Amino acid sequence: MTHDVAVLGGGPAGMAAATEAASHGARTVLLEESPLPGGQVYRALPPGYAGPADADRRAGDALRAALAASGADLRTGCRVWGLGGGPLVPQGAAAAPFTLSALGHDGVPFTITTRALVLCTGTHERIIPFPGWTLPGVIGLAAATILLKVQGVLPGRRIVVAGAGPLLYAVAAKVLAGGGQVAAVVDAATHGEWLRALPALAARPDLLAQGAAWRTRLLAAGVPVIHGAHVTAADGDGVLGRVRVGDRAIDADALCIGHGLVPATEATRTYRARHEHRPQDGGWVPVLDGRQRTSVPLLYAAGDGAGVRGAAAAPAAGRVAARAALDDLGLAHAGSQDAALDRARRAGAAMARMMALRPAMVEAIPPETIVCRCEGVTRAAIDAAAADGAVTINQLKHFTRCGMGPCQGRMCGEAAGALLAAAHGVPIGAVGFATGRIPLRPVPMEAILGAFDYADIPVPAAAPI
Amino acid sequence: MTAPFDVAVVGAGVMGCSTALFLARGGMRVALLDRGEICREASGVNAGTLTMQMTRAALIPYALRAHEMWLTMPRWCAGGDVLATACPGLSVAFTDGEVALLEDRARIRRAAGAPIDLIDGRAAQAIEPGLADGVKLAGHCPIDGFTSAYLTGRAFRPALLEAGVTLMESTPVRGVDGRFTLDTPAGAVRATRLVLAGGVWLEDMAAWLGVPLPIKVLVNQLVVTERMPPRMRTVLGVASGLLSLKQYANGTVLIGGGWQGIGDRARGGIAVRPENFLGNVRLAAHTVPALRQARVVRSWLGLEAETADALPAIGPIPGIEDAWIIGSVHSGYTSGPFMGKILAQAVLGRAPELPLFPIDRLLDARSNAA
Amino acid sequence: MDQRIAAFSRPAAVTITVRGRPVVAHPGESLAAALVAAGLWRFGEGDDPARPRTAVCMMGVCQQCLLRVDGRLVQACLTPVAAGQVVTPA
Repeated sequence: MTHDVAVLGGGPAGMAAATEAASHGARTVLLEESPLPGGQVYRALPPGYAGPADADRRAGDALRAALAASGADLRTGCRVWGLGGGPLVPQGAAAAPFTLSALGHDGVPFTITTRALVLCTGTHERIIPFPGWTLPGVIGLAAATILLKVQGVLPGRRIVVAGAGPLLYAVAAKVLAGGGQVAAVVDAATHGEWLRALPALAARPDLLAQGAAWRTRLLAAGVPVIHGAHVTAADGDGVLGRVRVGDRAIDADALCIGHGLVPATEATRTYRARHEHRPQDGGWVPVLDGRQRTSVPLLYAAGDGAGVRGAAAAPAAGRVAARAALDDLGLAHAGSQDAALDRARRAGAAMARMMALRPAMVEAIPPETIVCRCEGVTRAAIDAAAADGAVTINQLKHFTRCGMGPCQGRMCGEAAGALLAAAHGVPIGAVGFATGRIPLRPVPMEAILGAFDYADIPVPAAAPI
Repeated sequence: MTAPFDVAVVGAGVMGCSTALFLARGGMRVALLDRGEICREASGVNAGTLTMQMTRAALIPYALRAHEMWLTMPRWCAGGDVLATACPGLSVAFTDGEVALLEDRARIRRAAGAPIDLIDGRAAQAIEPGLADGVKLAGHCPIDGFTSAYLTGRAFRPALLEAGVTLMESTPVRGVDGRFTLDTPAGAVRATRLVLAGGVWLEDMAAWLGVPLPIKVLVNQLVVTERMPPRMRTVLGVASGLLSLKQYANGTVLIGGGWQGIGDRARGGIAVRPENFLGNVRLAAHTVPALRQARVVRSWLGLEAETADALPAIGPIPGIEDAWIIGSVHSGYTSGPFMGKILAQAVLGRAPELPLFPIDRLLDARSNAA
Repeated sequence: MDQRIAAFSRPAAVTITVRGRPVVAHPGESLAAALVAAGLWRFGEGDDPARPRTAVCMMGVCQQCLLRVDGRLVQACLTPVAAGQVVTPA
């Protein structure tokens, strides 16, 4: 059966998009990697868990309930690894339905065919490398949020929280609430940067109030907050033991650190949609029209994967994308604008600016520091490749293996691109992005092989001798 | 206006790079142009196989010489290194049909100079412990090996610069006037000789000179696994030639064999065909069962050029003095550096070490057909 | 050592085996969280650059937390704990 609308990614944008499409009668499927829909911010607790009240989870519960009532086919715990169809057809052939190859939660492979595809693939964390960042005990801020809010686990006993953006204070407050000790908060943003963000944040008084509450809690607990500063090194014997901020050495058994969020664009890159580099949106993003349409017909992107605007702005964007798809498929004529969207986007944009890549931090990466941890590629190796003539990120991969490992450059791509660009004195956008290819995520060979006989392998005719 | 170059080479893949390098070392002032970056198309994304058992019989004498060049690359390429590794090669047959194919092909390749002997499955497993049971016959060639093809551009680049080649990357040639003015966005580039080395784009390039040379485009798929413990120590293929398998020192296993993806010369390689991806990895896992323990990390595509008779286009362009062509060499990466060397010898007015592959036959065939 | 936050209620604890040793964990929590809660930050040793393996992103992206559960390669952050799992390095 061919679906009308498939939604890839079950965060707030994806849940809302699938709900909107299904409630208009479109045959809709939502594919999500986690055991439950929700995404990172609105993530559900594991089955059988109960935890402290949480506004984000309540928002997520509402979206989950609407999704469950919508009639959309929900496939959780599945890994989508293959993308095909759409514009990926032989020269001169008409565009095909989109196809998604996936492994089910039970490990059984399946394929989805759909007329329209809405990508709600979210973001991943940007960590600008520093000496010692690969030590066990150093985790992302978003990772810490998941541990604290969903798993109910403290990352450590004595924790340094560092980086940029609002997650910093959310994580620190959750650590305190969970009974942990916050050894320090190290905020890359200066007081001035926070003040400049205030007018836009005023569009979301709820966020302002929440942020103020977090800071008050830290103040009351006597947590040192260091503004306009960066972690310069982490060290320890096999696991994290100390965090260094300039001359200060802070004993810690966990460092939660993040420097912003990067849109996950592997699917739009694989479909060869047009992209542009917009630092204020998190980096490379697909080019969209006013209704979340990418440059590829019947392919849409919404939520942070289309440019970081935060979870609050995502459902409205997902609904806009779904309505555009319904219109384009001739299934419904729905209005396009969502009143809450602009306000949420404005507040999200202010946060995103604070979380944008900071070139000075990249410039400060010492030569021997590993940038690509999958392949062990250092800054010095990247600089040497640039001196040897590598000018694009794809070429840098060839010259150094940077970004060729299992994460496929998701963790290092931004820093590597910024280093390459700096070496040549060009904007980051000029070095391009890694070509999108399947699998979207590493897949176990065993799982995709299935049962087969040698005789069934459709071996093509032998090459000429 | 500056003096024209002695020669402009268009296309900075392995053919263009080696031609340019040996021309420069022969005393010519060389411009090497590419619309993108050096060795970023087929020359940088192929499987890096240095096997004789997938090479066309007519090319074996060339491939043997090129094999030696790859293994000694740092010595003749100013230290440039593609981590070439020598190892035995095996081409295996699981079915009676493959046995017949293998016997036939091994005989022909042996006659052409490849030291291939036929061994049974047990002997093959002694050479390659990772090999599956059920092999009926294997072609064994002690001269085989592989490179990390992605390093090719980095390996050639310093040598080209050191030899005095003017390397013009990201400089697409839009057309050629007279003998020879190349139209590029960076301005006109003049040269008294022209070498076309454009891989699958040779058809378009020959058209600049009014020469109709049909070139077929193969869109070869490749797949690579995550690092895994050492399981393999050969380059492994099947008799049909539709598998090439090797494990690198870092533990990754590269799976190739020419399964076809979607692409063309206008758009490049645009998508892996999931069904061919599956067929390719099944063939690989059938041949080396330990691959079942690995994860697939990435697949990609490289465009290979093929002439009407699937033999190379290397030689002068008929009717246009001082214009030359090089490309469409089956398994062209394997033979590449030697092919560039002999074309350079011819352009320099010397006798090439082995004969070229003039394209008159391809143009005649076309007019006969018409 | 248990770094679990007391304010959460969870299904009754079970035992899994991590590199031959029993570790107490709760069904449904992610394997990566269970290891962090037990203070086990090093998920796998070895020579390749991505060692030791450990938890970094907790959302399936970084691929650092690869492990074997009952012999199968999994990402610890995406794999729920179940009683009796045998966890070995990748």
